[in-house]
Amino acid sequence: MTVVTLGSGQAGTGHAGTDRAARVGACLERARNGETAALGDVVRELNPLLWHVARAEGLTAEESADVVQTTWLELVRRLHEIRSPRALTAWLVTATRREAWRVREMSRRPAPAGAAQLAEVPDPGPGPGEQLLADERDRVLWRHFQRLPERCRTLLRIVAHVSRPDYSAVAEALGMPVGSIGPTRGRCLAKLREMLLADPGWST
Amino acid sequence: MPDSADLPLDERDQEILARLAAVHALADPPPADLDERVTFAIALDAVDAEVARLSEQLAVGSGARGTERTRTITFDADSRTVMITVVDRPDGLVRIDGWLAPAAALQVELRLPEPAPPRRVTADPAGRFAFDGVAHGLGQLLVQPPQGSASPRVVTPAFAI
Repeated sequence: MTVVTLGSGQAGTGHAGTDRAARVGACLERARNGETAALGDVVRELNPLLWHVARAEGLTAEESADVVQTTWLELVRRLHEIRSPRALTAWLVTATRREAWRVREMSRRPAPAGAAQLAEVPDPGPGPGEQLLADERDRVLWRHFQRLPERCRTLLRIVAHVSRPDYSAVAEALGMPVGSIGPTRGRCLAKLREMLLADPGWST
Repeated sequence: MPDSADLPLDERDQEILARLAAVHALADPPPADLDERVTFAIALDAVDAEVARLSEQLAVGSGARGTERTRTITFDADSRTVMITVVDRPDGLVRIDGWLAPAAALQVELRLPEPAPPRRVTADPAGRFAFDGVAHGLGQLLVQPPQGSASPRVVTPAFAI
């Protein structure tokens, strides 16, 4: 298992964060010079996060895919505004939510109560069913995850897809309270961790 | 004793989050072709193009023998709306009929994944255009601005043909 260095949660922490920032920064620079294909790696890295952000806004799978794609197309027009890898993730998360709201409005579906607060939005994920999870610890994890309040499940499914150097930028973009996404654990993860550590199926 | 929620993330938290991500990849995965659609769509040479958003997608019925499928897709940009119907032909290829609104005789380009070259047609004064004999796969439309106009090109997201 990789040993992680914990830090401020600002720009890169440790070599991995610095390397990633440098790599993403180089891709951005090439894309700004017209080589948008250079964004391929960044697309593959960030698509799962953006997908879960769109799904957490209550969109269907098809709508979410369209929203993610439209967000990237808009990014290409605005590359000159994005000055750092951190700003890139924050911009994409913000834009994905904005696109998701627009789609929801267009379909005349009522916004979930408190739509401005992601924590209020129901988790639309159906779940894999325990039989699909081959690993015993994954099954234990999934069982306890389902016992969390809905707002925690919504939050954690997004947090799980955020790279550590991006925690604070994403928290800001989602309008979440400081500490709900790293560098501290936050209440939702603390609760899940507590349940897991008390379960022999996880600890052993 | 400090509240556990206020402590920094440690390795155990990282493991929980990594497993959560993996489990959600099973529970609610993005479409398998999402990365491909995005990388195709943004590989444009027109970085200043206006994005036309998908506003409606309807299946408008199938052919009498059940072998033909027709879909209409509407894309809205501030400056123009692009509406297309995609008709499956019996031979496995596709015909795309389109309309521009407001109507104008503009050049419309159908971008296809490499190595297929893009196809270009000019809409008639009523804004109608067509691409026939198109293979299934991804496509993306670019509408050129009127000659002498300073407005940007209009680009649609990539869509399945």
